[in-house]
Amino acid sequence: MMKVQYVSPFAEAAVSVFEMLVGMTPERGQLAARPQLFTTQQVNIVCGITGPVEGLVIYGTSMNSALKIASKMIGMPVTQFDQLVASAIGELGNMITGNSASLLAAQGFGCDITPPTIIRGTNVKITTVDIPALVIPLNLKELGTFEVNVSLQERRKLAA
Amino acid sequence: MAKRILITDDALFMRVTLKNILTQNGYEVVGEAANGVESVELYKQLKPDVVTMDITMPEMDGLQALKEIRALDPNASIVMCTAMGQKNMVVEAIQAGAKDFIVKPFQPDRVLEAMSKLAA
Repeated sequence: MMKVQYVSPFAEAAVSVFEMLVGMTPERGQLAARPQLFTTQQVNIVCGITGPVEGLVIYGTSMNSALKIASKMIGMPVTQFDQLVASAIGELGNMITGNSASLLAAQGFGCDITPPTIIRGTNVKITTVDIPALVIPLNLKELGTFEVNVSLQERRKLAA
Repeated sequence: MAKRILITDDALFMRVTLKNILTQNGYEVVGEAANGVESVELYKQLKPDVVTMDITMPEMDGLQALKEIRALDPNASIVMCTAMGQKNMVVEAIQAGAKDFIVKPFQPDRVLEAMSKLAA
């Protein structure tokens, strides 16, 4: 079973990254469990975690919210999900994951992270075998909602 | 003469952001690298005064690129600029010769402070 202690760093990091990057404090919603990682969001940022704790974190939001967040990051309004917007949204995922990794390291789990991948399209189903996901929704007020899906486990001990 | 900077980051957004901060404050961005391999290659060609270096990148990560550039030029001024702020990363980078370590997200002033200390 996935431990909640791996999830809190992502919620904490996401809140502080949004505070710094877009100047607003998101409200954390209710933590929920998912039997497998499933996301129906229009824009999904996938980041890998490797090390003593390993797995995936997927950030999901609507296209409308992604464009609003990117507009804040870039400093001017954007209406098309072009290369610069994709890069900004990917970097948002990288920043949250990187800051989470620092918090995990402080708990004794020093992990590395992979560069972000963006998956666009609704009804995307991603199954991470054997690792159930925990989901924290963040309410970004006028920017919409932003989901943090965490699917991590301690690295299996190799059989002797 | 304006100090010459080489930016290294796999994210176009971050290269644009850093370039805007630097050029608006009197620095000259002479090159942009999207991974460690490009950064080492551009360092040889351009001999910049300061390099900004992301860590999590494809091809070659920023810690490896830092070490390769410092091997080529032991006086190279390299500022890490990364979302990976954990203590062991900072220690490894500083031990390998990085001059400063900026954790993303950052305020523009943090970048300018690092540059002014180095490029003085």
